[in-house]
Amino acid sequence: MPESAWVREDAGDATVIRAVLAGDVERFGVLVEKYRAEFGRYATAVLGDADAAADAMQEAFIRAYQALGSCRNPDRFRSWFFRILANQCRSALARHRAHADVTAMELAAPERADSDTDRREVAMALAAALEQLTDEQREAFVLKHVDGRSYEEMAAMLGVGVDALKMRVHRARDALRGLLGVMK
Amino acid sequence: MSETGFTQDGQRYLDGSPHGAFADRERAEADQLLRAVAAYRDALPAIDAGLDQRVMAAVRAAGAPAARPQGPVRWLVEARVRPVWVPLAAAAAALLVWIATPRGTTGVPAAAPAVVADLDTVFVRFELVAPQARSASVAGSFNGWDPNALPMRRSASGTWIVTVPLAVGEHQYQFVVDGTRWEPDPSAAIVEDGFGGRNSVIVIGPKGLVRT
Repeated sequence: MPESAWVREDAGDATVIRAVLAGDVERFGVLVEKYRAEFGRYATAVLGDADAAADAMQEAFIRAYQALGSCRNPDRFRSWFFRILANQCRSALARHRAHADVTAMELAAPERADSDTDRREVAMALAAALEQLTDEQREAFVLKHVDGRSYEEMAAMLGVGVDALKMRVHRARDALRGLLGVMK
Repeated sequence: MSETGFTQDGQRYLDGSPHGAFADRERAEADQLLRAVAAYRDALPAIDAGLDQRVMAAVRAAGAPAARPQGPVRWLVEARVRPVWVPLAAAAAALLVWIATPRGTTGVPAAAPAVVADLDTVFVRFELVAPQARSASVAGSFNGWDPNALPMRRSASGTWIVTVPLAVGEHQYQFVVDGTRWEPDPSAAIVEDGFGGRNSVIVIGPKGLVRT
């Protein structure tokens, strides 16, 4: 497993966690705000639904809170929490599939018309195309292109080798190239 | 290259890595994909800060976490009682309960009976179908009947949602719509509150069974 900036230790997180475990429950809000900002886009893009993403993040945070005492390396809360969130997203995808009630994501409306309308249409086409990918391909593509992470960082986040992740991203691009061909 | 796939050099180009020459048409399609990603990224809705408040409300209700792992948290997933869909005018309310499926949390061994007795927290998800409401919350015996303690979040379909950790046992509650309207849940059992009103009742069993 390549070590990278991803698994860097964060003494600030460790300090917060120690305070929470000592009874200062309100300090947990520091972690919630911090990691909602960092991982919100990942959850939304992977699930293709902002509401489902908010639910998954809420459940992940509550799970993390309940299990905080078992976080063996509090200074690596970031990577520990991401694993919880990623699992939560996979479970949510399975539930969505089981209930066949996946709804189209509401993308933010542009502030101006004309060219922004085109961009919105392109964004919606990609959103629809992403739903055609496998869960693994979509997750890898989102981390690589939407979040802009390196393969090494993704490997550390997901516990998957760099070569396997490259393969997922490449296959996702190939599929998207075909799916987006109708846009031309 | 397959019919729609990128060549190795096209993939390297998309990776931002050094690459050899490849067809102009393929490069144009690679650029098109990157532009689509940029547009998609810009259009992605942000998860609003209301999430923080909902998490913290649940956290406060749960109390301080255990310093050492004590076993699996009962987490409510999958099986769900279908919500009752009724119009707002008719006291629109519905309780959706996710039944507990005991399973270990990260790094935590499976439950031992002696430990399970201490693990009486069950997460219950309340849903209120009220598309015309401006706000909604759950107030009950588990939060001191505070109408501000557990604000619900509105989904795109107009369903208000909040997930609450509750202890095993009986709880009474009502939904609070628009800050002032107290409404019992028509899909749940009702009891008199002793003051001329009616409360909804949820009973959470020791094995995660829930009845309303």
